[in-house]
Amino acid sequence: MRDPENAVVEVELPADFDEFWAAGLAECATYPLDPVLTELPALSTDKVIVYDLRYTSYGGLRIAGWYTVPRGLPAPYPALVTIPGYISEPTVPKEWSELGYAALAVAPRGKLRSNDVFNPGYPGLLTHNIVDHHTYGYRGFYLDVVRAVDVLLDRPEVDAERIGLQGSSQGGGLGLSTAALRPDVIACVAAGAPYLCGIMTAPTLTRSYPYEEINEYLRAHPKDADRVRETVAYYDGLNFAPRVQAPTLLYLGLEDDVCPPETGFAVHRALRCEKQLHTFPHCAHHAGLPDVMRIVEDFLADHLKPGR
Amino acid sequence: MDFESYWAAVDDELAVVPARAVLESVAERSTAESVSYTVRLTSSGPYRVFGHLSIPSGPGPFPALLMTPRYGSVNHVPHPNDRSRYVVFGVMHRGQRLADESFAAAYPGLLTLGIDEPASYIYRGIVADCLRAAEFLFGLAEVDPARVAVSGDDLALLTAARRPGFGAVRLSELLFYRAMEARLRSSLYPLEELNDHLRAGAVEEQVLKTLSFFDPVRHASAVSAPTLVAADDADWFAPLIEALPASEVYQVTHLDGTDNDALDAWLADRFGVPPMSRFVRP
Repeated sequence: MRDPENAVVEVELPADFDEFWAAGLAECATYPLDPVLTELPALSTDKVIVYDLRYTSYGGLRIAGWYTVPRGLPAPYPALVTIPGYISEPTVPKEWSELGYAALAVAPRGKLRSNDVFNPGYPGLLTHNIVDHHTYGYRGFYLDVVRAVDVLLDRPEVDAERIGLQGSSQGGGLGLSTAALRPDVIACVAAGAPYLCGIMTAPTLTRSYPYEEINEYLRAHPKDADRVRETVAYYDGLNFAPRVQAPTLLYLGLEDDVCPPETGFAVHRALRCEKQLHTFPHCAHHAGLPDVMRIVEDFLADHLKPGR
Repeated sequence: MDFESYWAAVDDELAVVPARAVLESVAERSTAESVSYTVRLTSSGPYRVFGHLSIPSGPGPFPALLMTPRYGSVNHVPHPNDRSRYVVFGVMHRGQRLADESFAAAYPGLLTLGIDEPASYIYRGIVADCLRAAEFLFGLAEVDPARVAVSGDDLALLTAARRPGFGAVRLSELLFYRAMEARLRSSLYPLEELNDHLRAGAVEEQVLKTLSFFDPVRHASAVSAPTLVAADDADWFAPLIEALPASEVYQVTHLDGTDNDALDAWLADRFGVPPMSRFVRP
């Protein structure tokens, strides 16, 4: 029998982990953010105004997003960055603006609306340049989410003291990395079934995709195992978790075949911030959906206070 | 154009377009359990679509599973559990990743692309892609034609309705079923695309007319195979369940580990292969 709560999941912390990410953030800062918002009346409703968003991120790539704000409510608004899953495209986050948030659904590089330059495909993203942490495909992807936070900070209708992160799976994993990289800004994180945590352990616990991509890669390139391990350590949620300062909600399915619960418990142990953990027996990667969304909404409302 | 002639025309278009399948083996995905391939096929249009194929190791013929595409740009590669038990073919319809050389679907946008006219609706071609995939799978020598299943959403149902021979149909997360009612329940996508389209000035009667060609209830009577409908609200799905000649209902628990295992076991039991959970239990 598996014992997810007590399983040992370890990731080596690269000696230059903080310097590596500081360099990435510094390079991002050399590019003007240059956000462009275009109102989309056809997608807007009587409750929500919808915008197409474009901004510049790491490497000078233009990144897309959907940005929504409540119609008819007084600003400033609390804000959310919603982060997509591995195979998902970001949807227009009207439902969050109906609750009173300015919401930015980011499409990091490689997603359909941000793939003019970088398009590793699916399968593909997880192992793109996985032997080199400097050029690993996820480097820019992670930083694109951080830059989405900068977009919110640039918006006059957003209260900079009330910016949160929300996502599940890849969205959960990148919620943790983004909170760690912007501890001065992020007010709270809701992370479901976090992916990209215990990256080298997870493929030994499951045969499900996307982690199966790593098994396939190592089947084809068995001599690269050490280099892969070295690379992904820079991207592992277990190394970001101790750097998260914002209150964090984690929720896990105890039969999650996509992101094994062992890795979720390990993240929870590694978090040193104020934290909540909700676990759902007999649940897989949905991790308690749809009911868990009530917990998520309450957690975000407690910290971000929409309608205040 | 009436319902039958609409779909007969799709069949006629496919009939004159050779599939011209090209298979390429995928070494890193092939194991002692199965051999994997990428597949490119010509569908109506003509349009080249893509699929992931795997064939179990050992002497066949094997039961087979057609996985129709979900609503979204990406479909996962079929799971190793399925690859070890079935000939599995997972098809990417026109516009999805790996089948997007001349047309990339937009999200949101795909659901309403061309919806104002039945003949121009994108899903007419998407259904054709699924029918072509079914023809390809049934044509493989490794497949036991008495044990071929189709699994997915409305596309699986329409495929089973339009191509006889399936031995089992497994349905979940239907998109078209009562879509014009379901769109009023929330602002969540993809059904919110219908609301966006109507707000932009589309004529509701036209949208309704187009969607009527894809209404699973209208196709249901042509599905002769045992059909499992995963439903969380049996009352909501009652018209479909009653219209299917051989339906069973799986009451979705939203404990998705339990649900996944139950859906897997239903098909495994029908085709005489062992049930397998995706959650590895040593």
